[in-house]
Amino acid sequence: MSVASLPTVALGHLLGSMADDEFVIGFSDSEWTGIAPLLEEDIAMSSLAQDEIGHAAALYGLLGELTGADPDALAYDRDPHEYRHARLLDHGRGDWAMTIARRYLYETSDATRLEALIGGSWPPLAQLCAKLVREERYHLMHIDAWFARLAGTGGEPRDRLLAALDELAPDAATVFTPLPGEPALIEAGILAAPMVDLEARWRAAIAPDLDALGLAMPPSPERPSRGRQDHGPAFAWLWDEFTMVRRSDPGATW
Amino acid sequence: MTEPTARPAIEPWEVFRQEKDGDPMRHAGSVLAPDAELAGHYARELFGRRQESVRLWVVRRADVLDLSDPDLLQPPLDRSFKKPGGYVMRDKLAAAREQSGGEKPKARPG
Repeated sequence: MSVASLPTVALGHLLGSMADDEFVIGFSDSEWTGIAPLLEEDIAMSSLAQDEIGHAAALYGLLGELTGADPDALAYDRDPHEYRHARLLDHGRGDWAMTIARRYLYETSDATRLEALIGGSWPPLAQLCAKLVREERYHLMHIDAWFARLAGTGGEPRDRLLAALDELAPDAATVFTPLPGEPALIEAGILAAPMVDLEARWRAAIAPDLDALGLAMPPSPERPSRGRQDHGPAFAWLWDEFTMVRRSDPGATW
Repeated sequence: MTEPTARPAIEPWEVFRQEKDGDPMRHAGSVLAPDAELAGHYARELFGRRQESVRLWVVRRADVLDLSDPDLLQPPLDRSFKKPGGYVMRDKLAAAREQSGGEKPKARPG
């Protein structure tokens, strides 16, 4: 499709929400560097976190090309309330079970979202999503392995996972918060289906896993329209961490 | 509270990697993991995350046949007559090649 007919504003919301998701989960997971349960997992989790930051960089880059904004400024120079990541990612690093529960919900949601974008009509995004899917394949394998182990190991592992899933439940489906201008994205063929439909696809995709592990399907969000707002104190802390160096010398070239 | 389940022991796995197609598999190192699935994930992250490998072999160390008996590998009598020292192949090969008019064979494609 020609650039002139691009629904630029809505596309900006889509790219921004995806980039912020990857950026925030990447920084949350990087909090495990040095303290993960075993050395091998420490390296694996740090590498996964780097992957997510890499995906965020690619998405901020695309957003920058679309709007003329500087990708670094998009990532680091906004106030906490301007970020549009899903509230699923607003619960602080927590314990290992919380990280696994959050990654499971996020990675499975992201997979459903990417599937709805790889056949899209705007080549830059469709092509990027096709690449992201290939990297996320390993992320899904890694998180499936951990999720099944914690859920299937009675005692502390399963109890902690259940507690984490309980805490995340109200925000579990917030990746699928409807985007401003969403109908324009669907009409333009950039996004295959409305977020509400994607949420149903995601639930259908994870239902067999949850069933097999004896886990409950998370409920629908309490305030579906605000699933990417009202970020709260855990994100305020994380924002302070990940903008600290940048704010220490604004405008510096690193 | 759920009932505690027995947890698998963490054990060492040996990792071999191939840098490019056609290269030999070389020992890369080892990882600790409770089972083959996680051993595979950790091997990938430790020895493949920078795209430095095209194939990995991951094998439980307990499944490796270990030969380290000195009677088998380091017997005490003089074995110097089994070593090719003092026998230089290069000149003989060059002479034979000249005689036959053949080219020096190329290295096998990698």
